[in-house]
Amino acid sequence: MPNIKLQSSDNEVFAVDIEIAKCSVTIKTMLEDLGVDDEEEEVVPLPNVNSAILKKVIQWATYHKDDPPLPEDDENKEKRTDDISSWDADFLKVDQGTLFELILAANYLDIKGLLDVTCKTVANMIKGKTPDEIRKTFNIKNDFTAAEEDQVRKENEWCEEK
Amino acid sequence: MSSVSAQGVVERASAELSRRITGLGLRGRKRSPGVVERVANALCGPAATAAPRVPRRRRPSPRPLVWSQFILEERFLEKFFLYFNANDRRSLAQVCTKWRDLLYSSPRWWTGLVASIDCRELRSTTGCCTQRFYNSLVRRGIRGVVLVSATDDDINEFIRQFPLSAHHVHAISLKGCTITDRGLESILDHLQVGAVAQLLPSLYEFSLQAYHVTDAALGYFSPKQSASLSVLRLHSCWELTNHGVVNIVHSLPNLTVLSLSGCSKVTDEGVELLAENLPRLRSLDLSWCPRVTDNALEYIACDLNHLEELTLDRCVHITDIGVGYISTMQSLVALFLRWCSQLRDFGVQHLCGMRSLQLLSLAGCPLLTSGGLSSLIQLRQLRELELTNCAGASPELFDYLREHLPRCQIIE
Repeated sequence: MPNIKLQSSDNEVFAVDIEIAKCSVTIKTMLEDLGVDDEEEEVVPLPNVNSAILKKVIQWATYHKDDPPLPEDDENKEKRTDDISSWDADFLKVDQGTLFELILAANYLDIKGLLDVTCKTVANMIKGKTPDEIRKTFNIKNDFTAAEEDQVRKENEWCEEK
Repeated sequence: MSSVSAQGVVERASAELSRRITGLGLRGRKRSPGVVERVANALCGPAATAAPRVPRRRRPSPRPLVWSQFILEERFLEKFFLYFNANDRRSLAQVCTKWRDLLYSSPRWWTGLVASIDCRELRSTTGCCTQRFYNSLVRRGIRGVVLVSATDDDINEFIRQFPLSAHHVHAISLKGCTITDRGLESILDHLQVGAVAQLLPSLYEFSLQAYHVTDAALGYFSPKQSASLSVLRLHSCWELTNHGVVNIVHSLPNLTVLSLSGCSKVTDEGVELLAENLPRLRSLDLSWCPRVTDNALEYIACDLNHLEELTLDRCVHITDIGVGYISTMQSLVALFLRWCSQLRDFGVQHLCGMRSLQLLSLAGCPLLTSGGLSSLIQLRQLRELELTNCAGASPELFDYLREHLPRCQIIE
C-alpha cells in the first residue's frame, strides 16, 4: 500500500495509506491538483492540526475507510443527532477541548463524515442547556445589552412548539 | 458537510503554485520534486518570494482558525444549526447577537413554532417591547398565534400593536379566553386568513373566519371538546366540503349553533348529514352557500325539530318550494332570506302560516310585490321585519304593515 506522510503542527510525521488520507477532500484535491505520484514519499504538512488530533483523525478515517460516501445533504434539512454509531460514540468520548479540535480539524481537512458526527455530538451536548450554559460551554462572550437580552429572552420564551 | 475554509486554502495553494511556477519560467502543470513542500509553504503563510501579490477574493486568515472564532463563523453556523430543531433554536438565539441575527434572518429556522402570548403578562410589558416581539414573529415567519387569557381589550390591543397580523397570522388559537362575541368578531374581522385552531377542552364557543381551513382541520376536535363545544362558526371556509361536514357531525354531535356561512362547497348532501346527525341544533346559518337548494331545506324541515333560527341569505337556488318546506317548522322563531333572488309572492304565502315566527328578513328579494308582502300582517308574533332593498316595498306598504303589526319593528 502506498503511503503518504502527514506532518502535524508540532512536527510529528504520520505515515498513512494514501487512500485513507484521501478521505480528506483537502488532501485529495491537493494531491490531484499537484499531480503528485503515489510512489513519491512526500511529506504533507498540516499546520492547523496537532499530533494528538491528527492521530485521532487518522484513527477515525482508518475505521471508516470502507464507508459508502455520504449522500449529498439537503442544505436546509434538519438533521438527526440520535443516530451516532456506537463506535463513533466511543471514539468521541473525549474531553470537550479535544472534541472542538476535532471539529476544527474535520472542517479544515474537509472530512464530511467526521465533521457530521462531531457536530452531532456537540449538538447533543448543548441541547436543553440554557443560553448561559451554552455560552460557557463554547466560551462565547455575551454581547447583548441588558435590554437586548431581556427582549430576546421574551421573544423566544413566548414561542412554543405547535 | 463541506469545509468552511479548506476550499479557499486549496484555491490559494493552486494560485500560489502557478505563480511560483510561472516565476520559475515553467509552463502549465508540471511535476517537479519538492513541489508539495512549496505548496505547503503557501498553505502555512506568507511565501518567501518577493513576487508582486495580486489581491484575491476571500483570502483566508493566515493564522489557524481557533475555536472561539470558528463558533461565530457564519458558514459553519449555517450548517451547525441544522442539527437542532426550531424549539432548541429558541435557546441558541439567546446566546449572542451573532447567533440571534443569523437565526432571525430566515424563517427556515423557525418552522413548527407558534407564538404563545399570555395576555396577563403582556399587560405588564411595555408597548415597544411588545411591538419588537411582534416584529420578531414576522422576521422569523412564525405565523401561528395562541392567545391565552385574552379579554376583548387584549384583542383590541393585539390588533392595534400588530397590524401586520392581518396578513401574517395564519392560525389563531384562543385558550382560556374570556372574550365575548365582540372580541371574537374583532379578531376574526382582522385576521382575514386563518387556519383552524386547537381549542381548549372547556371552550364553549368558537368562531373562525378562515378561508383556507380544510376538511382535515375539523378532525382536530378532541373528545372533551366534543362534549363541551356547543357553538361553532366557520365563516368563509372556502375549502370546506361535505367531508368536513362529516367530521363536524362525528366529532361535535352536541352542537346547538352552527354557521357555515360562506362555506361555498357545501351541498345538499352536506346539509342532509347535518340534519340527520345534529338533533340539538337550534341555530343554523347557511348563508352564502350557493349550492344549497330546496332539497336541503326539505332535510332541515324534516329532521331539525328544535331549530329556532335559520339563515339562508344569498342561497340563490332556493325557490318557493323550499320555503314551503320550511314553513312547516313550528319551532322556528327567526328566518333570514336576504337576497334569495328566486323567492316570489307564493313563497311569502307559505311563510304566513308560521305563527311562531318573530324575526323575518326578506331584504333584497327582488321578485316580491307589494301585494305579496302585505300578506305578512298575518304574522301576529312578528317583532322585527326587515324589508330593505325590496323593490315591492312602497311607503304605502310600510304604513300598512305598521298599522297592522303595531308591536313589530319594520326596517326599511
